[in-house]
Amino acid sequence: MDWASILYLGVTFGLFAVFALIVVRTYNKKSKDRNESAKYRMLDDD
Amino acid sequence: MEKPSYNTDIVRSFVTWSLVWGLVAVLVGVIVSLQMVNPDLNFGPYLTFGRLRPIHTNAGIYGWGVGTIFATFLFMVQRLCKQPLWSDKLAKFQLWFFNATIIASAVTLLLGYTTSKEYHEMEWPIDVMVVILWVAFAINIIMTIIKRKDEQMYISLWYMMAALIGVAILYLVNAAAVPASLFKSYSAYAGTNDANVHWWFGHNAVAMALTAPPLAMFYYFLPKSTGVPIYSHRLSIIAFWSLIFMYLWTGAHHLLWTPVPDWIQTLAMAFSVMLIAPSWGSVINGYLSMNGQWHQMKENYLVKFLILGITFYGLQTLQGPMQSIRSFSAFIHYTDWVPAHIHMGTMGWVSMISFASIYFLAPRIYGREIYSIPLANLHFWLALIGQLIWSISLWVAGVLQAGMWNAMNDDGSLTYTFMETMVEMYPYWWARVIGGAIYFAGILIFVYNLYMTVRKKETIPSTTAEGRA
Repeated sequence: MDWASILYLGVTFGLFAVFALIVVRTYNKKSKDRNESAKYRMLDDD
Repeated sequence: MEKPSYNTDIVRSFVTWSLVWGLVAVLVGVIVSLQMVNPDLNFGPYLTFGRLRPIHTNAGIYGWGVGTIFATFLFMVQRLCKQPLWSDKLAKFQLWFFNATIIASAVTLLLGYTTSKEYHEMEWPIDVMVVILWVAFAINIIMTIIKRKDEQMYISLWYMMAALIGVAILYLVNAAAVPASLFKSYSAYAGTNDANVHWWFGHNAVAMALTAPPLAMFYYFLPKSTGVPIYSHRLSIIAFWSLIFMYLWTGAHHLLWTPVPDWIQTLAMAFSVMLIAPSWGSVINGYLSMNGQWHQMKENYLVKFLILGITFYGLQTLQGPMQSIRSFSAFIHYTDWVPAHIHMGTMGWVSMISFASIYFLAPRIYGREIYSIPLANLHFWLALIGQLIWSISLWVAGVLQAGMWNAMNDDGSLTYTFMETMVEMYPYWWARVIGGAIYFAGILIFVYNLYMTVRKKETIPSTTAEGRA
């Protein structure tokens, strides 16, 4: 495997890891209320 | 707490100009569809199909689509951030520079100056204008977001930022060219690289100009219209990030069966199919947001536009991945199936959401209740019926065309000549003219309704009107 392939693979796994972290952080039970709060606040009277 | 003083004048101005360019786009669309059934309607050299077709697409995407994006983003960002615009002067400059850019585009395209890159036909001086325009817009929105009071950003703001950054990157990379004269340039890329970069731009212009902004509008105007929050903000965040991670890899599905390397085509095909998940994440979130509120489909004309809009988005994001599969693409590519697909996206998804957004804005920017809700409902039905006639007739035409092109005799020769396949298209092309004319009639009613709203004498004290029907 050449360096270019290793780099492609690294970027692919890196991006997947970032996405997985976003999913875990978003669906973390401890921060549920915080992550859902914006949908209520946007309904405030303008 | 004292409410910030929001700039609604600029929103009103952008709504007006987006309507002007929307009318031009659809009218020219009807004219070019007539030119397809009656070539005698080509009046050379300026009013031929070849010159009018890019006017139709560019006025639609950049005049109507981006004009509405400017109006709605400038409205939403102030309210979601509870801040006035960072710079009113910059927004004013953006308004006039926007119109100057669109006019310059239309004039140069009519004169025949073109890069010949679909959806990016304008020559390099106009590219420079587009970049200045977008930078002015992006600075104003991003600076307003930075000044916001709440740390947690609503999903619409995420989509707005993605559109700002995404369009900038796509446009700059695809616009790279070597100018040869004032109105002639040569692409910085050659051969298959040029095609690959161009369709990376082309498909992601759909993502960043015609998907992310309407989603920002949908997530804002649906709950504002129904009065209840979206089903899940967390689902919207996951759908957003998966859309961002996946979309940029899909452009090469426009180049299946071409000299572009096979692995790039396969990558684009795989990511296109995967893209169903984030797209339907938003569709399902929209439908579940209507739990207990489905009666509003009957009572609230805004909800009709919004829910039909997201439904067309759902249909498009199933059809698109299907078309990106090699075997199916081999059958329908280059047929009339493809414009049917894009028009269900533009006339069904993007425009339905844009109509709803502008109807929602009307009482708030004009200070008057909408002139006629029955006319708004009539507009809805004309838009829906016109769009369905347009798309369904060309789906059928596309399958017929593909079938005839692929038909072979026992000795391996083609059963039909190309001209025979063209003659078979006439009834479907007439149906397209009729569908387009119905859709245009709906837009005329839309504009009339807004015009009469502006002319109404009675004003409303506060901008709290909902779209009850």
